[in-house]
Amino acid sequence: MATSSSYPPPPPFYRLYADYQEDAKSAPEPPPPVQGAYPLFGANYTTEDVLPTLEDQGVRQLYPKGPNIDYKKELKALNRDLQLHLLELADVLVERPSQYARRVEDISLIFKNLHHLLNSLRPHQARATLIHILELQIQRRRRPRREEAQRLLKESLQILDGHPN
Amino acid sequence: MDIISQLQEQVNTIAALAFNTFGTLQRDAPPVRLSPNYRDPVAPLSDDTINIAEQPKLMSAALVQAAKQFDMLVSALPLSEGGEEAQFRRITELEAENEAVGEELQMQLEAAEEELRQVQELFKQAADNCLNLKRPD
Repeated sequence: MATSSSYPPPPPFYRLYADYQEDAKSAPEPPPPVQGAYPLFGANYTTEDVLPTLEDQGVRQLYPKGPNIDYKKELKALNRDLQLHLLELADVLVERPSQYARRVEDISLIFKNLHHLLNSLRPHQARATLIHILELQIQRRRRPRREEAQRLLKESLQILDGHPN
Repeated sequence: MDIISQLQEQVNTIAALAFNTFGTLQRDAPPVRLSPNYRDPVAPLSDDTINIAEQPKLMSAALVQAAKQFDMLVSALPLSEGGEEAQFRRITELEAENEAVGEELQMQLEAAEEELRQVQELFKQAADNCLNLKRPD
């Protein structure tokens, strides 16, 4: 395919669809959807939507790994850590101002961990929203619509009976 | 705004307060005596210097306030215990229940449509009778 000319010709496979009006099967099927990783405009994208772990991004993980994380406890612990680091930074700026870089790095590491924890709560939130919607739907469907309809039906029958034929 | 977005906003607020605090301190700090050979720097007492002394207190109070707000929001997180599997199980249960209720509703709908048809038939006959009675002789 001519990717570098400024006015590239149309892709050559348009000729395959010459007889499409008469016979729909003479032309090739559309290609199957892409799976896995694919390159697009120089960047690599993936079809699976998963939050990359901190190690994938090259960031140290400060809270313990494991299948079930106690989010509230870890978030509060990280918050306290953050405040302590800010105080440390203030101290370092007073005593040894040239060593600020390490402290600033630590603080940004804590922030990255905080944001990553919050992002990993999103799938849980999505499932909880789904559960809530399903419950609402079931409640709505169970609400007595039939009684309403039967009441209207009785009224109409009464009108019919009462009308002089 | 949902609670997770509020938490994210709060983290960003804490970060903004932190670097604003340090930036203000660095910008407004009065000069300091570096060596015993030189005399103390002149620090005139004016409105500005009073403000400069007050600002760190206000800003650090705001920072601690923001951190407490974050803790409060974390406590308000509605995290149900049981993890992913429990949620998946609940979703499949609810889906099955929804299916059953949906089928029931469908049957009720069909019965109601049948009755509607009958009532419409009756109305048609009643209307025909009325028209027949009113036919001028």
